[in-house]
Amino acid sequence: MFIINCPYCGERDQTEFSCGGEAHIERPKQPTELSDDQWAEYLFMRKNIKGVQFERWNHAHGCRKWFNMVRDTSNDKIQAVYKMGEKPPVK
Amino acid sequence: MSKNLRINKNNFIDQTTRISFKFNGQKLFGYKGDTLASALLANNIHLVGRSFKYHRPRGIMTCGSEEPNAIVQIGNDPSLTDPNVRATEIELYEGLDASSQNCWPSVNFDIGGINNFLSPLLPAGFYYKTFMWPASFWEKYEYFIRHSAGLGKAPTKSDPDIYDHQYSHCDVLVVGGGISGIISAKLSAEKGLDTILIDDKSFLGGSTIYQENECYKINSVNSNKWLANEIESLKNYPNLLVKNRTSLAAFHGYNYLLARESLTDHLSVNERKGKVRQRLWKIRAKKVIIASGSIERPLIFSNNDRPGIILSSSIKKYIDYYGVKTGENISLFTNNDSAYEAAISLYKSGVKVNVIVDIRKNSDSLIVKEALELGLKVLWESSVVDTQGYKRIKSFEVMKLSDDGYNVVGNRSKYSCDCLGISGGWTPMVHLFTQSGGKLKFRNEDNVFIPDENKTPSNQISVGSCNGEFKLNEIVVNTIENLKSFLSLNNSCYDGIKIICPDEKSKRNIWLLPSDKPIGKTKPFLDFQNDSTAKDVKLALREGFKSIEHVKRYTTTGMGTDQGKLSNMHALGIIADTTGTNMGELGTTTFRPPYTPLTFGAIVGRNVGKFFDHTRKTAIHNWHVKNKAEFENVGHWKRPWYFPKNGENMHQAVQRESKAARDSAGILDASTLGKIDIQGTDSSEFLNRIYTNAWSKLEIGKCRYGLMLNEDGMVYDDGVTTRLGENHYIMTTTTGGAANVLSKLEDYLQTEWPELDVYLTTVTDQYSTISICGPNSKKILAKIVPGLDLSDNNFPHMSFKNTKISNVNCRIMRISFTGEHSYEINIQSNYAEDVWIKCMEAGKEFNLTPYGTETMHLLRAEKGFIITGQDTDGTLTPSDLQMDWIIGKRKFDFIGKRSLYRSDTIREDRKQLVGLLTEDPKEVLEEGAQLVENINKKPIEMLGHVTSSYFSPNLNKSIALAVVKSGKKLKGKKLIVPMENKNINVTITDTVFYDKENKRLNA
Amino acid sequence: MLSFNSPIKEEKKYNDLKIVEIEPTIKINLRSNKREFSTKIGKILSILPPNEANTSSGNENYNFLWLSPDEWLVYSNNINHTLDNQIELENNLFNEISKLNQGAVTNVSDNWVMINLKGSKTFDLLSKSCPFNFKDFKNKKGSVVQTVLNHVDVILHNKDENDLNLFVRRSFSQDLWLWINDSARFL
Repeated sequence: MFIINCPYCGERDQTEFSCGGEAHIERPKQPTELSDDQWAEYLFMRKNIKGVQFERWNHAHGCRKWFNMVRDTSNDKIQAVYKMGEKPPVK
Repeated sequence: MSKNLRINKNNFIDQTTRISFKFNGQKLFGYKGDTLASALLANNIHLVGRSFKYHRPRGIMTCGSEEPNAIVQIGNDPSLTDPNVRATEIELYEGLDASSQNCWPSVNFDIGGINNFLSPLLPAGFYYKTFMWPASFWEKYEYFIRHSAGLGKAPTKSDPDIYDHQYSHCDVLVVGGGISGIISAKLSAEKGLDTILIDDKSFLGGSTIYQENECYKINSVNSNKWLANEIESLKNYPNLLVKNRTSLAAFHGYNYLLARESLTDHLSVNERKGKVRQRLWKIRAKKVIIASGSIERPLIFSNNDRPGIILSSSIKKYIDYYGVKTGENISLFTNNDSAYEAAISLYKSGVKVNVIVDIRKNSDSLIVKEALELGLKVLWESSVVDTQGYKRIKSFEVMKLSDDGYNVVGNRSKYSCDCLGISGGWTPMVHLFTQSGGKLKFRNEDNVFIPDENKTPSNQISVGSCNGEFKLNEIVVNTIENLKSFLSLNNSCYDGIKIICPDEKSKRNIWLLPSDKPIGKTKPFLDFQNDSTAKDVKLALREGFKSIEHVKRYTTTGMGTDQGKLSNMHALGIIADTTGTNMGELGTTTFRPPYTPLTFGAIVGRNVGKFFDHTRKTAIHNWHVKNKAEFENVGHWKRPWYFPKNGENMHQAVQRESKAARDSAGILDASTLGKIDIQGTDSSEFLNRIYTNAWSKLEIGKCRYGLMLNEDGMVYDDGVTTRLGENHYIMTTTTGGAANVLSKLEDYLQTEWPELDVYLTTVTDQYSTISICGPNSKKILAKIVPGLDLSDNNFPHMSFKNTKISNVNCRIMRISFTGEHSYEINIQSNYAEDVWIKCMEAGKEFNLTPYGTETMHLLRAEKGFIITGQDTDGTLTPSDLQMDWIIGKRKFDFIGKRSLYRSDTIREDRKQLVGLLTEDPKEVLEEGAQLVENINKKPIEMLGHVTSSYFSPNLNKSIALAVVKSGKKLKGKKLIVPMENKNINVTITDTVFYDKENKRLNA
Repeated sequence: MLSFNSPIKEEKKYNDLKIVEIEPTIKINLRSNKREFSTKIGKILSILPPNEANTSSGNENYNFLWLSPDEWLVYSNNINHTLDNQIELENNLFNEISKLNQGAVTNVSDNWVMINLKGSKTFDLLSKSCPFNFKDFKNKKGSVVQTVLNHVDVILHNKDENDLNLFVRRSFSQDLWLWINDSARFL
């Protein structure tokens, strides 16, 4: 059980959050112009890294805000949280 | 047998309070403060159980949670009996009734003991090797394997005890109440930090508290006296919480720890009533100090498992703490100094140890000198090679070790005994450290795995002997120094502390002691509970198992209820020796929680019975209960399923309800549908993007059905959305999908389209929804809202009106899920029950019939309306559902649009929704049944399956919906539904069975 | 007149703990990320919405709870209000905020059930099934937290020392009430 520092509410137990998978995958602005393969790339392909991973999380049982997290999946260390639209503070 | 081995000594036992208990039916006595193990030993009972595989007689080996043998069944009440309880941990209470496990008919005469003589036939991997073939015999094998599997007996009735959970947050959690834990807790509390100290015993102080030997002094007083004062001083800190009888079960990441507190397990049964038995603490600590101590290792030699063979440190505790002699003719076998402490303690209590067998060449430490001065006999550089005695050790045989320690030389000399203490050095308890993600390093000097300070997760520290510090001065001084930096202390109340302790000489480590016999003829046990021996481990290596994890599983070493606390190190050592590997490179098996077994009750807490899962109830729930509704769980909701009358069964009730709804009027509690209030200037644009159809042109006051897809083009949810104002809508979702839909919509708003001015607020609980349908619904509504013009002109299908019922505002939608003329009244929930009652009264003359989800499903199936989640399963596109009409093809984009023309979604042979009629109109298909065309062609090709099926009272025939490959093109095609006993002939039809022209909507 | 049926209608006392449903109260959910929102609200309610996370503002009539950077819950202190008061407030806010595109106003009076817990055991009770660390919360009057209690979403408003209001969705309220009463036995 992590302690997650919600960018809006502060430190809370992981119970209050849900994870929304990989971050920084933008929905194509003009899906109609994409080939099947390009669309499939957006739709299905996700990284599953052992190491530093960028993820989307939602404070589902709190403020209901989505935000991004940088987490090392090898030791569950959360390196940073930042608001939607912001650039990741670490590489 | 019934000797009294208690010595009269002022110790930790209250010898004024006698407690009677039963063991295997025999009435015995002990004292308050005893464990079951100490009380049994005081009664000269060593034989307590039989081993798992060979049913060898086994005795008490330890005095703590590492006990592999002395596990017993407590009580015989079918609901309260508790299996696999360690006799060394259970505190004696009046009326305790314990019995041996894994033996039949009794622990003294156990039929399974024959396995011991068959042991050459039961090598490692016996089950894997033997029960492989022939495959058809497996069912027979399984019976016997299951019969002989497991140790204790599980209770057969539900547990009446109360278990509780509690979250707790603290600055510092100290795990373990030995000397390093006490020092840690005091330093933390002294600094003003919120501190919790937990210890699994009833009494703090670890092994120092009964260390009476005068070689150990702290600030010029005996270490035990010094520690007792320290414990007393803990009471002065209001910010320090001490939890006795609390055992740490798990140490997870982010300093989240689970600890089980036993509250009544030490009380007599009468004193337990109404009290919480165990409480699971869920602790979040800013910092954790692990002071979990160490346990003594056994020595591995042939027949080292007989009752009466006990760890020497346990012998010391039994005599010094409990005042119990573990025997009258005791010898010791050791590879280090600590056995001499036991010898001195015994001597001071009037028991002279017969002989001490020491594999070392010599030792000149203070403690050994003291033992020699007392006249104790030591056999240096010697090893025990075998023992005798079936139910209790009678004698052991000693041989001289060769210079290199790999062999024994000379002749066997035999010594009689009734108890043999063994000491193989100490193993730090690093379980919690590794559970939390810490990595170990191997210290070659004394062959121990200790926490690697460079690979320790932040905000935790291991102190004392669990950190590999075994000498008193090291423990105390290092604990203080390490904590100063860990807790950022400038100085401490312990500064200048003076410690005197004997300078312990190093042990001589030999993992598997040599014998004059080949290993095949010896029985050197490693894992006492699971009966795996050194030769099993060697066999596994010969058979090609390399990884320690594989050897463990193949030989079952370390897989018992004790999780190999005593055995793992030796198994590793033997593997390392045999393969010529360094133990540090070999690594350890994974330490997994719980540290000691937890009861299921403690894990579950109060989430049993009515608290197993939470339930949601509508505002009209009480009326449904009063009117004998049967309920169905939908999501967490309790929804009326049907309302049986006069002993009707479900089918009869549903047929009556369905008929009434179409003949006159029916009423449904639809409050569970999700409702989302949508406001903001971009609300229409937002709906355009999330639904497949167009929304911009929907007039204020009108309703529209919408279909929501996932980005992969598959149908996700559906419902009716109403335009309440220019920039104001109210959306309904399915009951089960409500929370997910809201979360998904918020996701798109916050992450993909933050530029849209849209706000979503859930109002599912704010409004209750009462749906009235049927040809007489208009007449009934007219009585409820007499002022409202209900003409089709003013209030047409798919529109809504704001009105009042009595003094309360409400919205009435004219929408229909049954195909009948129908209305949905939405009203604030606290008034809903009364409105429902008023509707029932108004509808009396029209036989207004309450109906539940089953009738609702039937009525909509007659109309071919889908239920997302029943007729869809996340693999169907709108086109698959024959709902192409709802796709706004001219819209630029909506969620899932691009996926609707992927190569896969445009395949014509996808499964598509169709109607089915059975050849025999009375035959009702089973939902989930498969559809096939040719029953004779093998393998039979499955074309699809039935998704909804009912007997329609309004059509007087069976109807069904199904998904079938290329179903759209197959209208009129005959297919077969093969069932267990028969094949049912069906014909594919249109999905709409009833009122195809939708005339009834305006009837 | 339609009869009003709140879900709990009970008051229970345990050692150092009193629990009671407080009804009726007006509850309005507000959402906005517009600049003028605060001023507009201030004029109608005579209080400004709290901007700081996990806090509330209030006066004798209303409490204003922070729920997220663009969401608040307003509830009335006066239980003697009529249904007309509720409608009036809702309409007033809706016309001034939502109609003028300054945000969203939603009546949630019946969406949430308000339970008052009072007594020194209040936080021990909550901690039986709530992972939230109440240490700072309980020492700060007016603090607000949205969290989970026995797996159910709740909003907690710290009114005063050992005196808090708990909001739970109506459909979950009876179940949670049972759980609270059950757990109160083991304090």
